Amino acid sequence: MHGWKRSLALPVTMVAIALGFLISLQAQTQKNVSAAEQISADRMSQMKLVLLNSKTQNIKLQEDHRSLTEQLDAARKKVGTDPQLLDQLKQLQILEGTQAVEGPGIQISIDDRNKNVLFPLSTDDIARMINTLKFAGAEVISINDQRIVSTTAVVLSGSSTILVNQVPINRAEGIPYELDAIGDQDTLVDYFSKLEAPGLKKYGLTVSIARKTLRIPSYKGAYTFKQAKPVTP
Amino acid sequence: MRLDKRERSLLGLASILLGFLFIILLKTQGFASSQATTRQETAVPSLIQTEQENQQVSVDNERIRQELAKYAQGQSASTLAKQQLQEAEMNAGLVAVTGPGVQITLDDSKRVDIGQEDPSSFLIHEQYIREIFNALWNGGAEAVAVNGQRVTTNTEVFCGGSYIQINGTRQMPPYVIEAIGDTNNLSAALNFYGWFKLGDLQQQAGITRKLEVLTAVMIPAGRLREYHFAEPVKEGT
Repeated sequence: MHGWKRSLALPVTMVAIALGFLISLQAQTQKNVSAAEQISADRMSQMKLVLLNSKTQNIKLQEDHRSLTEQLDAARKKVGTDPQLLDQLKQLQILEGTQAVEGPGIQISIDDRNKNVLFPLSTDDIARMINTLKFAGAEVISINDQRIVSTTAVVLSGSSTILVNQVPINRAEGIPYELDAIGDQDTLVDYFSKLEAPGLKKYGLTVSIARKTLRIPSYKGAYTFKQAKPVTP
Repeated sequence: MRLDKRERSLLGLASILLGFLFIILLKTQGFASSQATTRQETAVPSLIQTEQENQQVSVDNERIRQELAKYAQGQSASTLAKQQLQEAEMNAGLVAVTGPGVQITLDDSKRVDIGQEDPSSFLIHEQYIREIFNALWNGGAEAVAVNGQRVTTNTEVFCGGSYIQINGTRQMPPYVIEAIGDTNNLSAALNFYGWFKLGDLQQQAGITRKLEVLTAVMIPAGRLREYHFAEPVKEGT
């Protein structure tokens, strides 16, 4: 090894030390990564379990809700409540939102996950669209199965979760936003496609409007009157 | 320092290896921290959503059970129906109500447009009114009205040029919004971006934005609309 110069010994040693250090660090990180993966997988499976639990509970509760409503209807018929009065009650319950309804209408699907979307759909957009549908004479409106009633507030929670009736409406999969509106189909399509769709499309969102017979669920929240007292005539 | 060819190539090889390992290390580090969070993010919102829905449905179930219990007790059917009718009318906003609340006045600017500024900043737009409604409902308002028009499920606030259409009627400024509810909550709920923007416009363009807390606010009754398309879902189908 007569070709080696003494002056080279120092840098080569340094390089060798650094190399050894890096290799050991690399091995360490690799171990950490697999540990982190393990933890995340554990958490994920726990989360899935909790989610599954609450979903089965949800199905059970919905079932209960349906059978209870049936029983109530039967009980009302049995005691022979005045049908006219019942009819009036149903009309009022459509307005307050506690009655699930069906009828012809339009379904608007909005997708804001494209690459060329500048801004995802905002709460202001949703509020404006709902207002336009009301203006077009929609009788009953819902967004992602949340019934729109008088007290409905559309607010942002955190950076991207949208709350309607205090319930998050964001979807992990499928079409992100589905607006249902029951009413005169021609008018609804006309108003929405002229007033709302162009603006949304301009920003790169995908909007499609379909005429459908819709079923809109009831409002599940509660009305409370603590301060307001009826004015007695 | 002069090196011959063999030494130089050795040193070069070592440096390349070093660089390569270093990059791999950096990549793994970054990957490890980002990966754990992404997958959980999708599960959490849907969990919250189902939980919330569960809560709402169980509340509603409880309400129906109570009603059924009343039938089971054999209460007079007609009084029960009347009671329900009254309740539904109250919820739907067909009953005039009174209580403590807030009153918000919005008015266009009286200042003459010099032509330099944006003329739209001198006017009250439909959007401001809607934003305030949204904030009030979010703050737990029990009843809301604007210029004597009760805000119900089907109330639209739509700009028609010089006027704003509300409940099918033409409304002109000033817009007086009244809301009944816990006055502290209502005032706090108004502290949102749009409200502060209106404050800026008040200083810059001279529009009116006024908030008053009142011990008694009167809110008129709304109207029941006719339904031509929507029909109640028949159970058991």
